[in-house]
Amino acid sequence: MLQFIVRRLFNLIPTFIIATFLAWGIIQAAPGDFATQFAFDQVDPNKAERIRQLLGLDQAWYVRYLYWLRNVFLHFNFGTSMTSKASVTALILPLMRNSMVLLIPATVLAFAIAIPIGVYSALHKYSLADRLLTVFSLLGLAVPNFFLALIFLAFSVQWFHHYHWFLIPTGGMTSTDFSSFGPVRQVLDVGWHLIGPVIVVTLSSLAFVSRVMRGEMLEVLSQDYIRTARSKGLSQRAVNMKHALRNAILVIVAIIGATLPALVSGAGSVEYVTGWPGITPLFISSIFAQDVYVVMALLTILTLMLMVGNLLSDLALALIDPRIRY
Amino acid sequence: MERARRDVETGQTPAGQQAVQGASLTTIAWQQFKKHPMARTALVILGIMYLLAAFADFVAPYPEHDINPNATFEPPTVVHFVGPQGHLTWPYIYGLKKTIDMQTFESVWTTDTSTRHPLKLFVRRTGIRDRYVPFPVNLIPVQLRHVLGIRPWATLHLFGVGDASDQVKIHLLGTDDLGADVFGKLMFGARISLTVGILASIVAIAIGMLMGGLAGFYGGWIDEIILRFVEALSAIPDLFLLLTLSAIFYPLHLPSTTQFMVIIVALSVIGWGQTARAVRGQVLSLRERDFTVAAQALGASNTRIITRHLLPQTLSFIIISLSIQIPGYTLAESVLSFFGLGVQPPSTSWGLMLSTAQSFAGVTGLGDRWWIFTPGVAIFIAVLTWNLLGDGLRDAFDPKSRR
Repeated sequence: MLQFIVRRLFNLIPTFIIATFLAWGIIQAAPGDFATQFAFDQVDPNKAERIRQLLGLDQAWYVRYLYWLRNVFLHFNFGTSMTSKASVTALILPLMRNSMVLLIPATVLAFAIAIPIGVYSALHKYSLADRLLTVFSLLGLAVPNFFLALIFLAFSVQWFHHYHWFLIPTGGMTSTDFSSFGPVRQVLDVGWHLIGPVIVVTLSSLAFVSRVMRGEMLEVLSQDYIRTARSKGLSQRAVNMKHALRNAILVIVAIIGATLPALVSGAGSVEYVTGWPGITPLFISSIFAQDVYVVMALLTILTLMLMVGNLLSDLALALIDPRIRY
Repeated sequence: MERARRDVETGQTPAGQQAVQGASLTTIAWQQFKKHPMARTALVILGIMYLLAAFADFVAPYPEHDINPNATFEPPTVVHFVGPQGHLTWPYIYGLKKTIDMQTFESVWTTDTSTRHPLKLFVRRTGIRDRYVPFPVNLIPVQLRHVLGIRPWATLHLFGVGDASDQVKIHLLGTDDLGADVFGKLMFGARISLTVGILASIVAIAIGMLMGGLAGFYGGWIDEIILRFVEALSAIPDLFLLLTLSAIFYPLHLPSTTQFMVIIVALSVIGWGQTARAVRGQVLSLRERDFTVAAQALGASNTRIITRHLLPQTLSFIIISLSIQIPGYTLAESVLSFFGLGVQPPSTSWGLMLSTAQSFAGVTGLGDRWWIFTPGVAIFIAVLTWNLLGDGLRDAFDPKSRR
């Protein structure tokens, strides 16, 4: 087992390096750089060139990639943001935490609701409930989640226009007088602001996860060992719970890793719409400002997160599935 | 075909079993597809949507870039079918008058019921800016049209109020922040939103098949490099990679046709990996089959084996992956344009229209200006119908997924 983990970890390194190199190449392929915006400075015509030298932007892009890689690996230093002049790590960490505050409850909730739904639909295949759930998941798959977030936002604004009090907040993560609250009230306030975004992210991933779960459960139910279990006279319940569900859950563990990218991306657009102070709004503004180190750091961290998520779900699968032995 | 003719000549009726055996892939697929009522309905709805997009200039009452700064966020025009006396009449509309509430500085729209403006069908608009290039011709690039000297134009619109001075206008879905007709914009936007998915998935599948085919057929270091590359590409979260890719071209301020191609390329760069992996697996298994080995033993060249023996096997696969990928790309384009990195004004797409809704959603609620959210419904319908059609096609072409 330990050997397997070590091998997998070593396998991650080339992927990580190629992925970051790719990302770096893409970012650098954009014409101009951060200093371009100062190119037509009336007072100081050399300003752009000076800034370029100061930030090291005058060197070849692959040279800067090597510098960047060295700093990340040796010092865990992602560079300095060009717009805010702050360390990228210091800039990103609090936003990362905010994103997690949204992402983790939404993921847990999505799986907690989707798994029972998927199992139920599979066990009652083609029943009325299954057909209804199928229709709902078809509808759910077709709604863009930024649109859903937009509807939520507009709804809460409308509610406020009409009743002059907020049912759910119209965006952001905290109320304006947040700092004057006590610690308990602060947590409650964030929780209240979470309601809308979490519902949207959960709803948008619900359809997908429950579909996968239903498919896997059906796959397991059509296996020979289920027929054997039935034919030797086991109760329906024992067959479903002991023989089928246990095997279908394995697949869910495997797909948690695979659904993470979709969840992160989905939460990203919801963050942008609802003004949740997570990483996506920063990512968008950094892209427009060509603040390459911030963009690069975010891409790197997200990539790393996904790779580790995949690894963990593979490991969990190897732990609980007796058929997988390394 | 041959057998059927022989049967006719000898006067024998072909046995039912023989006919089924001789059925081609498309015949079987069509028979299977007909069993899906949902997929057929989806096909009809999609057909209507594509027709509307194609003839957008004709169906929309006003030209594509028609804006009116004095009529921003005008509410939808109500078409009356019942006259004041309570009897059915030819549909007519009332004009809207804008006044400004001096307390809140919001525009207040009141209905001017003094004159009835009957709806007219097949209206010609006479202004020089109202001329448009009709459908099949507008697919030819402008430069080519100029070189060839094709300059047809039309002024006919499906409906309108026939008011040349445009004092009274018909906006079935109101106007947006620029005073443009949302109903018309939905159809002009559909031109981009509905084609991006198809084109991007075709490009992605082409790249994926080429790369996957190379990896599977040659193996060795080519296989290793391509696989590594695909793995690295899929390690970066899609949305963020897509945004970064589109950001390359953002500072260039490209003309809208080029920007359209950039979006297609960006989307397909994100998506080809999946196809490449699947094709690689297929080729690996096909390469070992008897017919490939036989062809090789007969001295067939690699090119011949690939084009005559391997590629025809993948037709079903292409159709199935197309139908899976198209809705995904349609959504991705809308997200991209919504973030401001996709289609740029004055071109429009549904995602871009929603980004207007986003910038005003914080000020006005859902009920006050509901019509600016309609592009979201359009995206929803397009993705839903493509998904349904995809399900039908999958069942039609994939024997394993049939019930």
